[in-house]
Amino acid sequence: MNEFFGTVYDTVFGIFANKYFLIFQHLYENGGYIKFGLSFILIPLVCWILFYYLWKYPYGKLWHWLVWLVITVLIVSGTTYGIANTEIFGSDNQALNEAIADASTGYADYADALPLKYALANSLLALIVSIIYSLIMKQFSKIQLHLPF
Amino acid sequence: MLFAAGVKIGSDFDTVIPIIIDPDTSNGDLNRTKDILRLYQEIRNQVDQPDDFYAQEIRTINEITVSTPVVNPDFFQFKLKDTDTNTFNQYIGFDSLSEDIAEKDDKNFVRLLYSAMNLKSNLDVGFKGNPNMGSIILNQFTNSEDFKKFGQTFGDDDAIFIVNSIFGGTGAAGFPLLLKNFRGNKNIPKHAKIKTAPIGGITYLPYFSLSKNEEINAESFEEKAKIAIDYYNRTIISLNQVNTLYFIGNRGNTNQEEYAVGGQEQKNKAHFLELAGALAILDFCKNINSITQITQIKEFGIEHDTQNISFTDLNIENAKQLSPPLTKFKMYTEYLDKGLSRALNTSRWTKSTIKLTPGNKQSLLNKNYFNSAEYKTQIQPFNNYFEEWIREMKDNKPAFTPFEEITADNALELVKGQTPKGNKSFKALDIQNCLLTDNISIRSKEKKHTMLIKMFGKSTDRVLSKRNLLIR
Repeated sequence: MNEFFGTVYDTVFGIFANKYFLIFQHLYENGGYIKFGLSFILIPLVCWILFYYLWKYPYGKLWHWLVWLVITVLIVSGTTYGIANTEIFGSDNQALNEAIADASTGYADYADALPLKYALANSLLALIVSIIYSLIMKQFSKIQLHLPF
Repeated sequence: MLFAAGVKIGSDFDTVIPIIIDPDTSNGDLNRTKDILRLYQEIRNQVDQPDDFYAQEIRTINEITVSTPVVNPDFFQFKLKDTDTNTFNQYIGFDSLSEDIAEKDDKNFVRLLYSAMNLKSNLDVGFKGNPNMGSIILNQFTNSEDFKKFGQTFGDDDAIFIVNSIFGGTGAAGFPLLLKNFRGNKNIPKHAKIKTAPIGGITYLPYFSLSKNEEINAESFEEKAKIAIDYYNRTIISLNQVNTLYFIGNRGNTNQEEYAVGGQEQKNKAHFLELAGALAILDFCKNINSITQITQIKEFGIEHDTQNISFTDLNIENAKQLSPPLTKFKMYTEYLDKGLSRALNTSRWTKSTIKLTPGNKQSLLNKNYFNSAEYKTQIQPFNNYFEEWIREMKDNKPAFTPFEEITADNALELVKGQTPKGNKSFKALDIQNCLLTDNISIRSKEKKHTMLIKMFGKSTDRVLSKRNLLIR
């Protein structure tokens, strides 16, 4: 899974730079990619389970679904940002910490931008996953079967 | 109305065949009743195997004899010959008697029995509270084609229940005549079966007065009732002509109806006693296997002497009979009137064009259904009649007021004296409707009202039961 998610972020989104290898090695070895992956998979899953099966509101309209989608994406985005921040800046990887501390390496500037990049990537993934979840889950929903359409 | 609300007569009786005997064919109350029966049948015919609302089958004698599904409410009424154009003296041949001495005696004898006003009376508006006239006219009824059809269709396990008032003309005279024929007229087809069939009856004692006293005098109601009871006692009760006879009436603070001798103007408001009287039919059917050959007399009473009757003022058994069906049906009619607009084309149970969804999950109750001619000419008018019925009972004396006025926001405060916790709007009903939409047992494309009637039968039950708003 680590491999798979790592490939998604490295290759599909291009969030990789050989020059800052320590960061990606750390994320890979500490299951960071799995955490990112599970964020965009599990958080929307929970959100859409709530929407389709636990939210007992019989007057749901398309705009309710859109608001829910935005909330889901924001939660994923925020969670991903938090995970990335913690993984990169809160690690006990001495080599990585030293690299970040050394301003001449450029690690600090690059690492600062990474959580946002992962958050944006996961937002997009959460959006896609949410639509897929919606189309599947609505089939079994009794109240929100008609949403998004 | 009780049948529409889901009451069934039970005891393996499958069909109710109402027969109305009234010479006043243009009577406002009569035509309202026939229209309600027509709508009931039309709606029920469009419900596949109704099991709650409209569960009780109602048919006319004609539908049974000619096996036709065509609804014609005129067949609920048995016609009386020559009553629509004649005066009473023409009808009995009084006018054709000459002034010769031999026939003059006959004329004078008739004058002893009937006043000049009686003799001049037109028969097309009934007998205006004169059972002495009614007994003559109604005697020909048993020779009618309608009555023969009734005999021909009478089955082994059938029973008869007669509803009449004792303080008028048609009912007071008709009841003993009908009984006499049921028990003793050998010319009726299947006479042997009818003779021994269980027969019950409810006799209405005076329970309203009139706004003025003219040709029909309300002040005479009570006196007439006493005389008729005495007659019934001698000819019906003592001779055990009927298995169970129910009496119901109200003295004291009674309602005053607008004076009308009959015709279109006669539109008396629905009264709680008429609802209570319907319970007599249920009681009779329930006890059909334990009736005796000796006439049993039963009366109706309520637990609390009040002028504003609600479910909790009734005997607990009656409350259990009336509270669930009436509350459910009231909730259903109120919803369609005040709650539907919010859900229509928004709530899943009103949508039939949901993308990527199979047909068996699409609702059949979409905008087209609620705009259809069948909905607008059957469901809506019937519900209007139900609301009118409830309103009239509320405006009458004693008032039957089990329900509060509600809006879409406090719909669950419908039952008087009950305030459920939580959200009180129609939301809970819409949720239940959504949950029921896929339920195969409530779906039928062939019979158009199936989904509406069956869905609301179930959803109102779930919502009201959960909040303990039904007396069970």
